[in-house]
Amino acid sequence: MNDLYDLAVVGAGLSALSALRAGIASERTVVLDFQGAPGGFLKAALPAPGFEESWELIQSFRIPREVTTLFETTAVGLLPAFEPGEPHVLIVRQREGTAQIYARRVLIACGGLELTREHAQLPGTRPAGVITPILVHQLLSRGYLPGKRAVVYGDSRYTQATAQRLVEAGIEATLVKPRMIEATLATTQPPGTLRSLAEAELIAIEGFPRLENVKFRRDDQLFDLPADTLVYGTGMMANTHWLKGSGIITEAYGTIQVDSSYQTNVQGIYAIGTVTVPSLDHADSIAMGKEVASLLAGGTQ
Amino acid sequence: METKLQRVDVLVIGGGVVGCAILRELSRYDAAVALLERNPDICDGTSKSNSAIVHTGFDASPGSLEARLLAEARELWPDIIESLHIPYLQTGALMVATNAEELATIETEIIPKAERNGVMLRRLAREEILEAAPYISPKIAGGVLVEGEGVIDPFWTTRAYCENAVINGARVFLGEPVTGITVEDECIYVRTGGGLTFAASMVVNAAGLWADEVARLAGDDAFTITPRKGQFIIVEEDHGVSQIILPVPSRISKGILVTPIVFGGVLLGPTAEEVDSKTDLATTSQGLNQIREGVSKLVPAIAEAESVRQFAGLRAVSSTGDYIIRSSTVHSRVLHVAGIRSTGLSASPGIGRYVGELVRDELDLSLRNPFMDELPEYLTDIHPDEGEVVCLCRSITRGEILAALRSPLPPTTLDGLKRRTGAMLGDCQGNLCMARLIDLFQQLGRDPLTLDKNVAHSCPIVGHLPNAGRPLKNPEPLVLEREGRDE
Repeated sequence: MNDLYDLAVVGAGLSALSALRAGIASERTVVLDFQGAPGGFLKAALPAPGFEESWELIQSFRIPREVTTLFETTAVGLLPAFEPGEPHVLIVRQREGTAQIYARRVLIACGGLELTREHAQLPGTRPAGVITPILVHQLLSRGYLPGKRAVVYGDSRYTQATAQRLVEAGIEATLVKPRMIEATLATTQPPGTLRSLAEAELIAIEGFPRLENVKFRRDDQLFDLPADTLVYGTGMMANTHWLKGSGIITEAYGTIQVDSSYQTNVQGIYAIGTVTVPSLDHADSIAMGKEVASLLAGGTQ
Repeated sequence: METKLQRVDVLVIGGGVVGCAILRELSRYDAAVALLERNPDICDGTSKSNSAIVHTGFDASPGSLEARLLAEARELWPDIIESLHIPYLQTGALMVATNAEELATIETEIIPKAERNGVMLRRLAREEILEAAPYISPKIAGGVLVEGEGVIDPFWTTRAYCENAVINGARVFLGEPVTGITVEDECIYVRTGGGLTFAASMVVNAAGLWADEVARLAGDDAFTITPRKGQFIIVEEDHGVSQIILPVPSRISKGILVTPIVFGGVLLGPTAEEVDSKTDLATTSQGLNQIREGVSKLVPAIAEAESVRQFAGLRAVSSTGDYIIRSSTVHSRVLHVAGIRSTGLSASPGIGRYVGELVRDELDLSLRNPFMDELPEYLTDIHPDEGEVVCLCRSITRGEILAALRSPLPPTTLDGLKRRTGAMLGDCQGNLCMARLIDLFQQLGRDPLTLDKNVAHSCPIVGHLPNAGRPLKNPEPLVLEREGRDE
């Protein structure tokens, strides 16, 4: 465990897998991830329309054998090298306890966390049934129904795919796009009725102990959408809490600033994917992985 | 329905910080004691949603029971914090005046009152404050430091009181609202929503917001309790704030404070709003704006800070103004402990001791031998192969979760687990780890479909998928029918 690696990749989601497929790994590379398998948080939502490239990457790519993989291994701290030439130290937690990983270069690709209604300071009650897309996918994949009548709020492809998945599970789902358009999803299952409402903004959450109603505003008009589930899917923030105290500079929503070669403010520490742009599209994560691999592959500085 | 009669010497109604502090004191005695809580977990009312300050009582009304018990609590806290391993920070509190008038109020009202309450305050000039705490607004006129004020975790405190009582033999019944009380000469019968009946020699009514309704069940309508809502905003970045920052109180309210949180971050609030409902915990735009406006006069940078969470709590305000700790009008052995306003956490050691002694004298109880007045360190009995992180935002491990689930007073709800471990309290608000936590509950025998978030009917899962066991079919392309869309 205390071996010295050329490269430590924190995270095994889309951007990391893309970089690995593009050949970023040398013989002495380690990849670690919070989850028990590669694919990142998106994996639970796949396959889904519009995510063919992501699904293909996760399904068909195998991390090369010579790369050390550590799953259920979570980075909880980073001590950058004091002097050039010294390794950086990652503090990780795994089943057996806390350990340290030494690496000459670190690639931070640990993705993001979904924003909740709390970030938007949305007023109202705090009932069961107000959730974000990742929980929808995790509950459905375990065979559990998160609700019966859902409002899905957000305009990303991922949020749309989440609404689609709910409808397939037999849940009545209404997709509301912030300030854009609202339409009930129509599928082969009970056909939804059509409504379109421009400029809809979520303004309050009502009901307790279970969600009962979601309040919206469009222009100057208020309207209600009764629901037992609100899937709040407006965006992400960078998963960078663990870098507190490391000296890596993070900005609003935990975003890591990088230069044109994806290097952070600390030499030898790089970042790609959602940690650098929380609103990043999944296709761009894959592109970023390829690009960082072409810049960094093989070399040790 | 067949009901089994449970005979106890003392029955405490209400599992908030006050009821649990009393239960711990009662468990010192050689007596059968039990506690009833209406919600599925202890500390689910006023005790969980407040500013988490251990207050000296410097501004209490001199001569009141509240002032006396706050003063006694000051003496008792150090031992309790140590023996129950409660996270506590003695931050001190800085009261800042924003103008000459407020500065005069400090001189003419605050300092004399504090002296009568036995709390020493230290005057600070404007320059001294700004040098020591540069984050404070430069527009202030001066202030005063209360060194004895500190912050604590209210849930941890309540749970520790309760677990300590449980290991000394007290019994705790959760999810059991009181539905009826029958008072006879030698015995008080208490019935619950779950169909239990208790026959108690003495009943302590520590039902917080509901204490007036519990009293009415016994035929006593001597007081009423009204809810006063306080909204709060939690901010993760502390902007250097390491002390409690207080405004000079007005006649109506103590005002909006800036309070460090014992586990990190800062709490802004509370508002003080008279509301009609004892269950109205909604946050409002007006309330949240009022908090930010109030804070901007004290610590301008933090008034603008991003929030990770907002919440509201309800304080129990009595019609009498002071604590109501006395026998009921209908029976000397129904003891009310009500109207504990906003100082219940701070005074809890004093209230527990005082009520414990009242009950001891009434029932002529003797001390239990042995009594364990300590708890082991919390959540440290981790198995060697359970060290992986489950809650990513807060780096909480599977071992910590399982230790909480195996503790003497294990959580029965997801919020109960959250308050015991800190899991689900981070930026993702549990969306990332909740399914995994449900798995761990299930591993220890809990049916996920009965696992509520907090109160009854708050289960995050409403049923099984109709096609459970089979993978979801490959979805077809998204069809969005559109009408009237302007592009």
